[in-house]
Amino acid sequence: MNGPSRLDRAIEVALTLGVLASGVLLLAGLALGRTELLRWGIVLLMLTPVARVVVVTAGLFLERDWAFGLISLWILGVLGSSLWMAFA
Amino acid sequence: MHDPSSLLLVATGAATGLVGALLGLGGGVFLVPLLTLALGVPIRAAIAASLISVIATASASATVNLNRGLVNMRLGLVLEVATSVGGLAGGLTASLLTPHQLFLSFAVTLATMGVVMAARSGRRNVIADPDAEPGLLGGRIQEGETSYVYRVKRLPFGLVASLVAGAISGLLGLGGGIIKVPVLSSFCGIPIRVAAATSAFMIGVTAAASAFIYFSRGDVAVPLTAAVALGALPASLLGAHLSERVRARSLKVLMAVVLVVVAVRMGLEGL
Repeated sequence: MNGPSRLDRAIEVALTLGVLASGVLLLAGLALGRTELLRWGIVLLMLTPVARVVVVTAGLFLERDWAFGLISLWILGVLGSSLWMAFA
Repeated sequence: MHDPSSLLLVATGAATGLVGALLGLGGGVFLVPLLTLALGVPIRAAIAASLISVIATASASATVNLNRGLVNMRLGLVLEVATSVGGLAGGLTASLLTPHQLFLSFAVTLATMGVVMAARSGRRNVIADPDAEPGLLGGRIQEGETSYVYRVKRLPFGLVASLVAGAISGLLGLGGGIIKVPVLSSFCGIPIRVAAATSAFMIGVTAAASAFIYFSRGDVAVPLTAAVALGALPASLLGAHLSERVRARSLKVLMAVVLVVVAVRMGLEGL
C-alpha cells in the first residue's frame, strides 16, 4: 500500500484508456449531435469496469495469488452473467 | 453542446461527480434526486443515468487513487463478493417491500450511520508504529514523510454492510458507497481516505452489473446520460485530487452531513 504496484499500473492504464476513449466519443457525439457516437461512448464506459476486473484477475493469477485470483474470477463471472442476462 | 439543457446536465454531472469522488460515493445518491426532482427526468432514466455516471466517477477517480497507493484492492475484492451477492438478493427480494418501506428503512440506516460517523469523527484508524503487522487485508498509507499501518476490524460486519449496499444499489441505482464508506471508516478500522478510494474502486463494478440490464431494456436516455457522464469524468478526477488536500476529519464530518441530509430526503419520500 505504499505506492502503486505493477498490477496497480496495469489497472490504471486499462481505466485511463477506457475513460479517455469514452470521454472523446461522448464529447464528439454531443458536439456533433451524433447519437451513435454517444451510444458507443456509453457502451465503452460500461465495459471499462469489466476490463478492469479482467486485468485484476489476470494480474493476480500471474502473481500466483490463487485465492484472490479466484475471488476476482468470481466477480468477473457475476459481471459476465449480468451481460448474458442483458443481451442474450 | 450549445443546448443549454445539455450544459445544465453536464454541470449537474460535474457537481455530483466532484462530491462523489471526494467521498468515494460515486455521486448517484445526489444525482437521482437532482435529475428527478429538479429537472423532471423520469425515475428509470434518472437511475440509468446515475449508474453510468457512477461508473464514470469510479473509473476516473480510481486512476488517481491507484497512483497514490490508497486503494486496498484485496479488501475491495473480498467485499465485492458480498456486494454482488447483495445485488442479486436485492433484485430477488425487491417485491417483498413496498417503496415506502424501502425508503424509510434506508433513511433510518443512513441517519444512524451519519450520527455514528459524526460521533467518531475524531478517531484515527491508524497505528503509529510503522513496523506493526497490518494483517492479510490491512495495509499502509503514507501521509507526508510518515508511514502508518491500519488493520481491518469486524470484517463480518463489513461483509454484511457490503451485502446490504449491493442490494440497495440494485434497487435504487446507487453504487453503494453511501453505506460502504461510513461502515469501513467507523466500524472496520479503515482510514477515511482508504475507505473512500477502495469504495470508489468497487462501485464501478457494482454499478456496471446493473447498468447492462438497464441499457438492454432501453432505459438509458442516451443524450441525457452522455451529458451527465461527460460532466462527471473530469470533475471526478478533480474530486479525487482534492480529497488528498482535505483533512480526514473534515471528510468524515462532510460524509456525516451528507448521510443525514440524504436520510431526511429519503424519509420524506417514505412518508
